[in-house]
Amino acid sequence: MGSISLNGINKSFGATEVLKDINLDIKDGEFLILIGPSGCGKSTLMNLIAGLEDLTGGEIVIDGKDVSDESPKDRDIAMVFQSYALYPTMNVARNICFGLEMSKMPKDEQEKILQKVSKLLQIDHLLDRKPGQLSGGQRQRVAMGRALARSPKVFLFDEPLSNLDAKLRVEMRTEIKKLHQRIGTTIVYVTHDQIEAMTLADRIAVLKDGELQQVGTPYEIYNDPVSHFVADFMGSPGMNFIECVVKDENLVVQSGGETYELAIPCKDAIKNSKLDVVMLGIRPEMLTEIEPSADKKNSYLHQIKFDVEVIEPMGADTVAIGQWNETEVMARLSPEAGNTAGKGFDLQVDTSKAILFDPNSGLRIR
Amino acid sequence: MNKFNISNINLGRAFIYFILFLFAFIYLAPLYVMFSTSLKDIEEIRSGNLMALPLDPTLYAWKKAWATACTGSECKGLAPYFWNSVRIVFPAVIISTILGAFNGYALAKWKFKGSEFLFGALLFGCFIPFQVILLPMAKLLGSLGLANTVTGLVLVHVIYGIAFTTLFFRNYYVGIPTELVKAAKLDGASFLKIFRHIFIPLSTPIFVVTIIWQFTQIWNDFLFGVVYSGSGTQPITVALNNLVNTSVGGKEYNVDMAAAIIAALPTLIVYVIAGKYFVRGLTAGAVKG
Repeated sequence: MGSISLNGINKSFGATEVLKDINLDIKDGEFLILIGPSGCGKSTLMNLIAGLEDLTGGEIVIDGKDVSDESPKDRDIAMVFQSYALYPTMNVARNICFGLEMSKMPKDEQEKILQKVSKLLQIDHLLDRKPGQLSGGQRQRVAMGRALARSPKVFLFDEPLSNLDAKLRVEMRTEIKKLHQRIGTTIVYVTHDQIEAMTLADRIAVLKDGELQQVGTPYEIYNDPVSHFVADFMGSPGMNFIECVVKDENLVVQSGGETYELAIPCKDAIKNSKLDVVMLGIRPEMLTEIEPSADKKNSYLHQIKFDVEVIEPMGADTVAIGQWNETEVMARLSPEAGNTAGKGFDLQVDTSKAILFDPNSGLRIR
Repeated sequence: MNKFNISNINLGRAFIYFILFLFAFIYLAPLYVMFSTSLKDIEEIRSGNLMALPLDPTLYAWKKAWATACTGSECKGLAPYFWNSVRIVFPAVIISTILGAFNGYALAKWKFKGSEFLFGALLFGCFIPFQVILLPMAKLLGSLGLANTVTGLVLVHVIYGIAFTTLFFRNYYVGIPTELVKAAKLDGASFLKIFRHIFIPLSTPIFVVTIIWQFTQIWNDFLFGVVYSGSGTQPITVALNNLVNTSVGGKEYNVDMAAAIIAALPTLIVYVIAGKYFVRGLTAGAVKG
């Protein structure tokens, strides 16, 4: 019903290339997140899919049909904007029905759809109000209602939650996920918030400077990033990156005044890369307090001394910040361990999920 | 200490009010002189004080200015010319405002190659002095067969007004989020439907501003009126000039004053009715959804 193929998409504004050869297949019913730092071209890509801007090169296929030259209204796409873009002079009911009105749908059918959509989004008590009289969360719902009413093939969400306060954002996030599970329509969702991306997506597409870096499930993106950029972008607190000298296929790490050699799983990769210095990438949750139950024979478990510079309690866990090889490193401790950590303590380092990057190119070494 | 402060504040207040009243007086004094003179008869004007209230108010001067005063060789008062002005102003204001709204909408929200240049070129029209275009425009009106006609004057005012009305609407519409246009496009609305259903309802303040501006400009215009009108199509400003310059016997200041007030009255009324929108519209931003 709502599959999208982007084939070799290019977009330039004058001499500036905003998107470079984007190839991406989005399956029917998929929840795809486009993520990247601001200015990476993700909103432009969304506007191209919607038909609000013209392609410089490539083609967009929706449901097996090339829509590259079709106007927005013929693409059967609905979009939710960051600013909501509700029509300020129309009440909520007319806002929701405007698209139906434009398609010349009979009044009684419009009414039925309005009832259904407003019930679904719990805005049926707001139908007579103007957008100016609504709170941020309510506007957000109306904007979604307007998109839902047309029952399009594809929904586009352009950073829909970034204007909401933190608590409401989490609530609406859950609601969007529920909504997707209920209606099962393809959603393309732009965000720069990696938590939104992780929680909502079936697949995540990471964009940087107009190029697709990686497309994959949240698990793949988080655990198996293709580059330093992707690894750095996903996760909070972010991944630790430490440049280490290679010694006998182990990595040399200085911490707490001592020098350690850490064994890592990707030994062949180090050998093949022929690099003397590699960049170690390791998530903060792999750096914890000593767990008594830990398997002593596991060669990827290390105990090393750690000088703590700053402790940041986050409630569910505590982040301890110190240094390895004169680079800042974050460890994720339980709140109890965090309380007693003090200046220095022993850290358990699990390198089984550690990954390596070429310090020059930033690409993965496999 | 406290008391001292309070009296100090009162003194300051009093000073501010004194200044305000003084300037208001200076500003309004001519209007008062005009109005009171227009209600006096010619004897009283000759003998009395300029600032004095009329002893025996009479509408003689008003009636004469409206219906029988001589403007050159004709002696029909201002009435026919008043209606000439109305026939020029209404179509000219309406057409130039509508065109300006369209232009502004297209230039602000439907950018095309060269649209910025086009806007710049249009803007240039705001800075062209009337005098520069007098001759070419006369030639153009002549070859269109519109010389000395009301239609010709409407055309001149519409063309001259488009620069301003476009500027007003374009700047107003630039402040309306482009996302609204995108959303409406996705909802399947066309260029005209977006204009009608979304932009027009948002435009009340800027319509008021533009209408007041255009009404005042066109009603008060003298130069185009005197150059492009024939004897039967002169606007009121030209007739007022002729009336004041025509003296049969002595100068009738009371009739001149009444005539001047009649000529100015419509713009005054427009300001009184719509003035608050004018201020509100110029400060804009008031309609953000």
